[in-house]
Amino acid sequence: MISEYLERLAKALDFDPALSRRVRREVEDHLREAVAADPTGDGREAERRAVARFGDPHVIATHFAVVSLGKQARRVGFAAMVAIAVAFIAMKARLGWYALMECPTGPMGTLGEALVSIDRCAFWVSVLSGMVGWIYIDRRRIPTTLTPEYGAQLHRFVLLSWATIAALMASVISDGVLTAIRLVAAPWSFDAMIPLASMLIELLCAGMLLVSIRDMTQRTASTGRAARTA
Amino acid sequence: MLKGHLDMIVLAALSAGPAHGYAVIEEIKRRSAGAFDLPEGTIYPVLHRLEQAGLLAGRWVTADSGRRRRVYTITKRGQRELDERQAVWEQFSDAIRSLTKGRRPWRNPA
Repeated sequence: MISEYLERLAKALDFDPALSRRVRREVEDHLREAVAADPTGDGREAERRAVARFGDPHVIATHFAVVSLGKQARRVGFAAMVAIAVAFIAMKARLGWYALMECPTGPMGTLGEALVSIDRCAFWVSVLSGMVGWIYIDRRRIPTTLTPEYGAQLHRFVLLSWATIAALMASVISDGVLTAIRLVAAPWSFDAMIPLASMLIELLCAGMLLVSIRDMTQRTASTGRAARTA
Repeated sequence: MLKGHLDMIVLAALSAGPAHGYAVIEEIKRRSAGAFDLPEGTIYPVLHRLEQAGLLAGRWVTADSGRRRRVYTITKRGQRELDERQAVWEQFSDAIRSLTKGRRPWRNPA
């Protein structure tokens, strides 16, 4: 009976495999302890009582989902800052490389100037919204259940995260176009691999952040639905 | 009403010393003389959340039975949080007691 209950609980927690494994181990110890402490000595009945006292696995999973979602939101807030910092370092490294190699600026023209402005503006918007979002979610206390107040806080954080990734993407795309203009204007050489590698790092940072924000948005919605039906 | 005070209840139970989930629940039942008979599973998300918030520290140990179990200890931050919540609760409790058992008769506003 305990094994069957643990299976159901682990399945209900499959949105977070690491959490599911940990909770399963912890709950198994709890239930075995409860059975051992049962005064009746009837093993099967003791198991039934221990499981009944523990509660509905879906309700417990709903409570864990809020904790897990809160942790995920904080991780996304931190990841956004790391992604922005790494993208910034990659961009600075590329510009440093250009200066070191005394690369010609190339035919930038009005488009180039506009792209540089977009790049700068979008990058600082991403820094600002990312930082506000990270500080905002990190200072919120994760409640026992998904309260309307915490739901609204998560919603605000999701919006800030999307603003961050949209701005970072705009910055990275502008960087990409600027790099392409520069590389197309110059004769091809092995030295071009450095700017290309730095662009790849920027794209990877933005891509990974985009995926993690999308996952968090989906989980926020599914946890909200589960909390309403629990 | 109990749900709103689960954090304080769990922190208070752990203020006596480190304990695993089952022992925390038993301590809550014992100290409340059975008044707080919660579904036992509701305590674990609270333990995880308090650990995440840095109010508890958890570590895996091997019990005498050979099973692995997670033991929680209240941190200094957790103890400060408990002290603050207890102070607020005592103020609230005193105010309610004064209100419900107060000697001053209510004045008719009319």
